[in-house]
Amino acid sequence: MARIVLRGLGHSYRNAPQCETDYALKPVDLTWEDGKAYALLGPSGCGKTTMLNIISGLVTPSEGRLLFDGRDMTGASTAERNIAQVFQFPVIYTTKTVRQNLAFPLECRNWPSAKIAERVDRIARLLDLSDILGAPARRLSADQKQLVSLGRGLVRDDVSAVLLDEPLTVIDPQMKFALRRKLREINRATGITMILVTHDQSEAMSFADEVVVMKDGQVQQSGPPEHLFARPQNEFVGYFIGSPPLNILAAEPGNNRLNCPALGLSVGLPRGVGTSVLSFGVRPEHIHLVDVAGTAPGARVEAVENLGVERVFTLRAATGETIKVKSRRHKGLSAGTDIGLSVKLGDLLVFGNGRLLGDGEAYLPSEDVG
Amino acid sequence: MNRTYLIVKYLFLLAWSTFVVFPFLWALSTSFKDANAVTSGARYIPWLEFEPSTQGWKSLFTSGSQGINIVTPFLNSATVTLTASAISLVLGTLAAYGLSRYQFRAGFVKNSDITFFFISQRIMPPIVLAIPFFLMLREIGALDTILGLVIVYIALLLPIAVWVMIDFFGSIPKELDEMAMIDGCTPAGAFLRVILPNSLAGLVVAGMFCLIFGWNDFFFAFTLTFTKTQLLPVAIVSLNSSVTPWWSLSAFALISVTPLALVAILVERFMSRGSLSGAIR
Amino acid sequence: MLTLENLSTADAKRPLAGLNASFEAGRIYTILGRTGAGKTELLRTLIGLDPIRSGAIRLDGADLLHRPVRARQMAMVYQQFINYPHLNALQNVIFPLRRQNVDKATAVARAREALALVGLSDFETRMPSELSGGQQQRVALARAIVKNARILLMDEPLANLDYKLREQLREEFPRLLHKNVDGVILYTTTEPGEAMQLGDEMVVMHDGKIIAHGDPGDLFDNPPNVEVAQLISDPPISVCDGRIFGGMACFTDGSPARLAGGGLHDGTAVRIGIRPDALAIGGDIAARVTLAEFSGSDTILHLQLPFGQAAMLLDGIHEFQPGHGLDVALDAQSLLLFSQEGANITGRIG
Repeated sequence: MARIVLRGLGHSYRNAPQCETDYALKPVDLTWEDGKAYALLGPSGCGKTTMLNIISGLVTPSEGRLLFDGRDMTGASTAERNIAQVFQFPVIYTTKTVRQNLAFPLECRNWPSAKIAERVDRIARLLDLSDILGAPARRLSADQKQLVSLGRGLVRDDVSAVLLDEPLTVIDPQMKFALRRKLREINRATGITMILVTHDQSEAMSFADEVVVMKDGQVQQSGPPEHLFARPQNEFVGYFIGSPPLNILAAEPGNNRLNCPALGLSVGLPRGVGTSVLSFGVRPEHIHLVDVAGTAPGARVEAVENLGVERVFTLRAATGETIKVKSRRHKGLSAGTDIGLSVKLGDLLVFGNGRLLGDGEAYLPSEDVG
Repeated sequence: MNRTYLIVKYLFLLAWSTFVVFPFLWALSTSFKDANAVTSGARYIPWLEFEPSTQGWKSLFTSGSQGINIVTPFLNSATVTLTASAISLVLGTLAAYGLSRYQFRAGFVKNSDITFFFISQRIMPPIVLAIPFFLMLREIGALDTILGLVIVYIALLLPIAVWVMIDFFGSIPKELDEMAMIDGCTPAGAFLRVILPNSLAGLVVAGMFCLIFGWNDFFFAFTLTFTKTQLLPVAIVSLNSSVTPWWSLSAFALISVTPLALVAILVERFMSRGSLSGAIR
Repeated sequence: MLTLENLSTADAKRPLAGLNASFEAGRIYTILGRTGAGKTELLRTLIGLDPIRSGAIRLDGADLLHRPVRARQMAMVYQQFINYPHLNALQNVIFPLRRQNVDKATAVARAREALALVGLSDFETRMPSELSGGQQQRVALARAIVKNARILLMDEPLANLDYKLREQLREEFPRLLHKNVDGVILYTTTEPGEAMQLGDEMVVMHDGKIIAHGDPGDLFDNPPNVEVAQLISDPPISVCDGRIFGGMACFTDGSPARLAGGGLHDGTAVRIGIRPDALAIGGDIAARVTLAEFSGSDTILHLQLPFGQAAMLLDGIHEFQPGHGLDVALDAQSLLLFSQEGANITGRIG
């Protein structure tokens, strides 16, 4: 177990990187505390696999240092790092039973057989594999195979971290839910740091204590899921986290205020932003649908998508802008209806040139403050 | 440390290359020697250690008692190898496609058995086949003829083509054929229009193997011919009489190696351009 | 109209067992089921790639079974990105048209149009290997659309794509397909959300059988059996054991589920489905949190209840440590009652 620190860590597959775009991973400082669950989230080609490979030792970074508990591991071999890895497709020995699969890494280390048996039993209990220890590994279902792959990493008692490289891709949604939960429980029970690489924001959000969002080799934002959701640092994070993505709405300065015509809200004009292009962002989950009779600004429902538990409403605001709203209520609402919108100022985000400046409450219009 | 490693690495590579290239260098230098230079000890460097002579090269293209005629065996070898390779490649590719895409069954004989039957032809020692081949060719009057050799070589090369192509077709997703059929192709159309254009890399490899094995075969060329139809390997060996003309022999060897070397270089260029390797992901 | 009559297969990994269904032109049918439920086998059988054992497939009454694959007027988009590797994007889309003997000029024009529809006009000369996964799948879609097939089959076309790309294509697909495909559209998926969002109608498959067919919203609100209920909801419905007592359904600890007993005798064992939104904080059921998960705006609490385990969907972000005690209430309107065999026998009271 270890605390993993990335200090100015960057990598370029070119010999002498000239400009920013030459980097597969732009230099970054990050600290991963021992025992927590992390997720590296981003679209394909964002550099998350490069980062994973640097941590596991498959790639030596061209810049910066990698520390495990303060020890410099930048040049250490994969074996010295004691990292367990689970890949997209289960890697198991198909000719062996589950028990032999789990025992194999310990046999390679010449553990006494009594100690191996005890350790394997413990890990099997943790993974809910106790009942099928004698079964041939090739007979298992995809999610059980993934658990065995994980178990082979966990049986070693010197694991510093578990890297999970999109381990849920080949698993059915119904099983995914259970496996994700199992991973989470194992993380809690063993206190081993887990790092999940994924392109699936819902997976990252539900798994991790902290999510690192990446794009174009650059870390966009890192923090607890609820923070990334509520306060995305830029419009990309707003788009990438949450489904449907953050609504981006026009901001019109006027009357010494910044107005959002689509929602009928205004905030105080942020100072010191010069000629920045300003815009508003609001989460589809944060827009409440109210009776059109009130003073609320109106919109027309253009489409309703029933996802089962939730519905996604596509609305056309009076300004012509498209707004998405996600809700578990309003089951009877159908396309063509007019409806009112209500958003709390604290849920209204102000962006300047695509970067978060603050929420609506930070820029209360001066009159209202008085 | 790093420096020593580099030096050791290059020394090793140099030694190995010398070892591999040496026979050719030796043959090249010998082909320009006369009888005197060959028999009086080891000499390698022309002009310095011996006076070069083109006698060896000239003899290959003069007929009569003084010369050795290389042109006829060369043309014979080329005809037999190219014809047999081409026919094997066509038949082998068709057979391999059938075996990789359709399930055949005759009693207990399944696809894997048929495949093994083909490959077993190469596992069998050639000596076992020599006598039956000899008798069969004699029966149809094809002993010592180009046609007889072509037939025997097809039997030798077909398994190689089938083997390589089954493996290659196995790496092309079946969905590609299915897609072509959904898009309106007949099964044969799917093969010709979609699978074949994506099989260039496999065809080149199989073709190379056929050429190499066909061109280099000595055993059958020797047992199934007498004097009328001589192939290159046999012609070379027949030079080895009481007085061996080393200079002619070396020149002969170099010429017979050239076509394969040229093919290898061409294919290598072609492959590294990525025109083949990137065809299928 | 495409009709399946008692369609059964024997050879495939998952044999189909007596499928009956009819599909109308111009509608999208999503086929929902787990991996191995027989979804792919159904598509392959329809297209003629897998043999059948008994039954019939008819298109507007005409028998399809005896037609070869090439004459079935179908198009397919595979889960793997299947394009012709030796042809560029435009040539790929032209290919099926030329096989239909469309003349070259018309074929090129129609192929260009189809590529424009999927937003690939600028990539006409790219080879498939030079395109991203999403773009490759768009080429495959263009090739399927351009043929004007009577039946369009899509086999988990988004399964291998990034989450955000999937989200975007899920939104584009219905519009694109309704506008450009006149035939029957069958679309398989393992994701309940995708099936709900895309389907004009939904077919649920399980163990090689069709276990439900209908309007997605209706199936969600009134699943005919416990398998459908579990497949169709994300997060899934939790199922607890129960028993009939005094004509009413009760949990194993005796607490009432406030559901009519479906006319079953007292003591009959039943199963009670708890929708994730059936539970709310504040009530008289003592629960213990086993895990809290966030999904952005919501929290999913995994609870240990006196009568079993259940997942609860909670608005907003709430931090709960495992082991935390909690009092919850059950909303009887969001409970489902199933017989021991799995049939939905929910009867609301009042």
